[in-house]
Amino acid sequence: MSDAEMRQNLERARREGLEAIDAATDMASLEDARIKVLGRKAPLSRARSGLRDVPEEQRRELGRVANDVTAEINRAIAAKEKTFMATETAERWEREAIDVTLPGEAPPIATVHPLTKTIWDIVDVFVGLGYRVAEGPEVELSTYIFDALNMPPSHPARSSQATFFIKSSGEEVLLRSETSPVQIRTMESQEPPVYVVCPGRVYRRDTQDATHLSGFMQIEGLAVDEGVTMADLKGSLEHFAREIFGRSLEVRLRPHFFPFTEPSAELDVLCFKCRGSGCRMCKQEGWIEVLGCGMVDPHLLEWVGYDPARYSGFAFGMGVERICMLAHGVSDIRMLWDNDVRVLDQFKGGAT
Amino acid sequence: MRVTLNWLREFVDIDIDAEKLVELLNFSGTKVESVRTPGDDLHGVVVAEVLNIEEHPNADSLTLVDVRTDGEEQRVVCGARNFSVGDRVPLARVGARLPGMDITERKIRGQVSRGMLCSGAELGVSRDHSGILVLPPDAELGADVVPTLGLDDTLLELEITLNRPDCMSVLGVAREVAALTGQTLRRSESKFDTPTDVGSPVKVAIEDSQACPRYLVRYIEGAKIGPSPQWMATRLLACGVRPISNVVDVTNYVLLELGHPMHAFDADKVANQAIVVRRARKGERFTTLDGVERDLHRDDLLITDGAKPIGLAGIMGGEATEVSESTSNVILESAYFDPDTIAFTARRQNLRTEASARFERGMDVEMAPVAAARAAQLMSELAGGRVSATVLDEHAKRLERVKVRLRPSRTDKLLGISIPPAEQAERLRSIEMEVSDAAGALDVLVPAFRPDVTREVDLIEEVGRLHGFQELPSTLPRGAAGGLERYQRAERKLRQVLADLGVFEAVTASLISPEDVEKLGLDESNPTRRMVEVANPMVEDERAMRTTLLPSLLRAVALNRSQRSQGVGLFEIARIYEPTNEALPQEGLVLAGAFSGLRREQEWTGAARPWDFFRVKGVLEAAFEGLGLGPPGFVPASGMPFHPTRAATVSLGSAPLGALGELHPDVCERFDVAERTLVFELSLAPVFEDLPERVQLQEPSRFPAAYIDMAVVVDDAVAASKVGDVIARAGAPEVVSVRLFDVYRGEQVGDGMKSLAFALELRVEGRTMTDDEALQVRDRILPALQERTGGTIRA
Repeated sequence: MSDAEMRQNLERARREGLEAIDAATDMASLEDARIKVLGRKAPLSRARSGLRDVPEEQRRELGRVANDVTAEINRAIAAKEKTFMATETAERWEREAIDVTLPGEAPPIATVHPLTKTIWDIVDVFVGLGYRVAEGPEVELSTYIFDALNMPPSHPARSSQATFFIKSSGEEVLLRSETSPVQIRTMESQEPPVYVVCPGRVYRRDTQDATHLSGFMQIEGLAVDEGVTMADLKGSLEHFAREIFGRSLEVRLRPHFFPFTEPSAELDVLCFKCRGSGCRMCKQEGWIEVLGCGMVDPHLLEWVGYDPARYSGFAFGMGVERICMLAHGVSDIRMLWDNDVRVLDQFKGGAT
Repeated sequence: MRVTLNWLREFVDIDIDAEKLVELLNFSGTKVESVRTPGDDLHGVVVAEVLNIEEHPNADSLTLVDVRTDGEEQRVVCGARNFSVGDRVPLARVGARLPGMDITERKIRGQVSRGMLCSGAELGVSRDHSGILVLPPDAELGADVVPTLGLDDTLLELEITLNRPDCMSVLGVAREVAALTGQTLRRSESKFDTPTDVGSPVKVAIEDSQACPRYLVRYIEGAKIGPSPQWMATRLLACGVRPISNVVDVTNYVLLELGHPMHAFDADKVANQAIVVRRARKGERFTTLDGVERDLHRDDLLITDGAKPIGLAGIMGGEATEVSESTSNVILESAYFDPDTIAFTARRQNLRTEASARFERGMDVEMAPVAAARAAQLMSELAGGRVSATVLDEHAKRLERVKVRLRPSRTDKLLGISIPPAEQAERLRSIEMEVSDAAGALDVLVPAFRPDVTREVDLIEEVGRLHGFQELPSTLPRGAAGGLERYQRAERKLRQVLADLGVFEAVTASLISPEDVEKLGLDESNPTRRMVEVANPMVEDERAMRTTLLPSLLRAVALNRSQRSQGVGLFEIARIYEPTNEALPQEGLVLAGAFSGLRREQEWTGAARPWDFFRVKGVLEAAFEGLGLGPPGFVPASGMPFHPTRAATVSLGSAPLGALGELHPDVCERFDVAERTLVFELSLAPVFEDLPERVQLQEPSRFPAAYIDMAVVVDDAVAASKVGDVIARAGAPEVVSVRLFDVYRGEQVGDGMKSLAFALELRVEGRTMTDDEALQVRDRILPALQERTGGTIRA
């Protein structure tokens, strides 16, 4: 075969090969075209094998041409392949499309009770200030509730009008009307410093209404140490009120009376609904009463065997329901104790 | 406690506005609960004179009344007939506004009425709806009735704390106001001329000087009983006291003004006009003026006429000696009674009065003669009585004023602020404490009206509240090492995990009824049926401290069912109270749950899933896993309140915890919950005892495990857990986990049989386990299965 013929064959193989590849419409026909163009019986292969018969001096040049043709065809195949793969991938994505707006398969989730959450929130504030949590009996000895807490037998809380007594106990055993006996028991069991909060159930013979139940939750706190002052009480409770009700809240300490603290006070926060101008929430007062507190009466310190000349302390107590109702805009305390899932469900959110 | 601003002004000058006054009182410890001026609600009501009264032509009960104000005449239709021509009456003119009422011109039975004549109730000055309020004859025609009736006075509702009986009076509040504003208190000095010709026939004897240290009597002769003047009636009403008659009203008025309770007896009904103060006798009975005949207790203190009781001392007088319209001579009692004596009697008799509320907190023994003089003066002025100059003052026991030493440095130390000693002394003097210097300390003589001040700390409180708590800095105590105990953290986590698993936490009451426990149908011997009971429950349904949470939880499930919820899962962690031989019951923490209806409604990804035994069991297992505890053990159980074949006892290690199961259908019905409701109740003490130490990491093996499945065919009666246990034991140590993944009953395994399919994970220490080795372990397990469970391997 002449040199010219050889070149002609290669040229034709190139042209026909590129045409065949170009004509392929999918991966399968491209594979067919590849076999046809590059296979053993393809014109290009035959042309290459014809190179053996070409004289030495021309073979090198023709070989180079043949390589170029092969490379060009391979490039064309690769390009075509890439196109087909892109199409195929695109088709797969299309096929596998889902409606992401369909509902997710969420595992059922519920919530701890809002009163539990409220206790946790309050406890956490005081744990952050170095307190521990103390607990004690709900059915309690009269001594720990009244005598230790400075309430003489004539005190109104000691009447069967106010307090639940246990049958056949001779008014010696009763349902605690506050968690304060836990404070007494804690002080009895250890030396100062004492920093505790005591959450728990308490019982009073109150007639049920929107703000009263005969059994409810209370949380009290006690700090006894050397040099504890009323200013410490104020600072601690201001911190508490702002953590629970809002960082920028205005707080006031108003003198009050409790048998177990002296001096005693109530803590008010500026009504967070009307900001002091007076509304239904604050009963037109502009302020909302949050808790009772005071400096531990020396009588209590003596009762538990602490030296009142050396130690002083403060105590505070609040109704958990009241805090929860204020914080969450609950108008009727019974809603918190009914366990209606439509109510509980709303407490799924929140920081805790 | 209510006071009016004008009444206060009789005792102290007030040159600040009401808002500032409220703030000062609030910060002094006397909280102002409300401030209102009753006259603010009345507009356009004026004084009018009745010119003519004639019958309404179309209604027997109505009259037509012509009235005149200043130069203007009106005709109004009126329903009352208690007034006459010439009387002055309140006229609400057209356009007037009263509480809940706007006055317009309107026709009543065909007659035009231009306005309305008002009753005392309509004006808010009395509770009398029956007649028109007749005004004093000197009331100025056309004048607004608001100032005429004293309704322009501002009314303060005060919260008086238990320790401040001295503030239960206008005088006491005025004393606080004076101290807070730097003004001087004006005392009530009752000076009046007593006719010398009136003697006092009364004799007084005190048999118990501890209960009655002082008993003072003024005798008033020839009083004419009648209504009180409008000014007094208006003040009494403003303060919530119903006017009765001049003599009785005077005692009430002075009670409000000076705070000292007194009692007026009809002297002619007191036999021998003798007063003997003594304790009651056994079996003695007495009718108080509320008409109640009372059984007396031997500790009750009585006022008697020497023979029979005429008064329950310091609480209420007797019916028989009550002042009435026919009374002419009055024995006025002004005494001091022991607080505890009065408190106990008031409690025993369940009788609380304005008088008892004051005596039981502690009255001012020195106020007795002052109040008596003031009352006698008013009775003389308002009822025309002549007051005997003789003051019978039996002072059986002198009560000394208390002397307390205050170290000003102690004040600073307790309050956390520095208040100069001179200021401390001044603060105390402002509330009538007598203060003298005593070598770096202050000696304080406490006035008799402050029974609450007996110790140094009480004085510190006085200094502190008058200086102002708002002046205290805000500091923090040094604190200690705080934190939660491990079991407290575990309890929190348990609640959170259960909630995260889709179970709502419930909070239910501890006081329940034993009948609710009966509904569970427990055996006679079940300790749950023995409960601690309350002697004085509010309602019978809440008389026992619960020994199980189930009735309360089932009640909550029923409530949610009645709200048409599709399903509910509730849990509660709370105490139960078990009777013991000690004074106090055993209080133990339990976890209980109740589940009913659907756990998940139908979704597009799957069918509805009801709560069933295995879903509830799974929740428990997951919760235990969340606490780092091994899986609890479940052993078939029967007995109420459970379904006989769908319940299990639950244990942790060797400790029994409680039970889980479907409720018996009868129990479901009794609690009005759906059939197939499930419950569990577990004691938490063993759980919290078993809490694992901190997690210690086990490095995962670098060598792959071998996995094989085994389907074991056993008799249907063989418990799956037993088969699993045999595999685990016989396969040890190579078998590290056994998981049951299928249960099959049917043709292929034969009647009365089941196939349990287990997935086993096998490992050897330090290298990869080969398939051959795994098969050898399997071959080791087979005979054990055959021997212990009768099981065979399903091909």
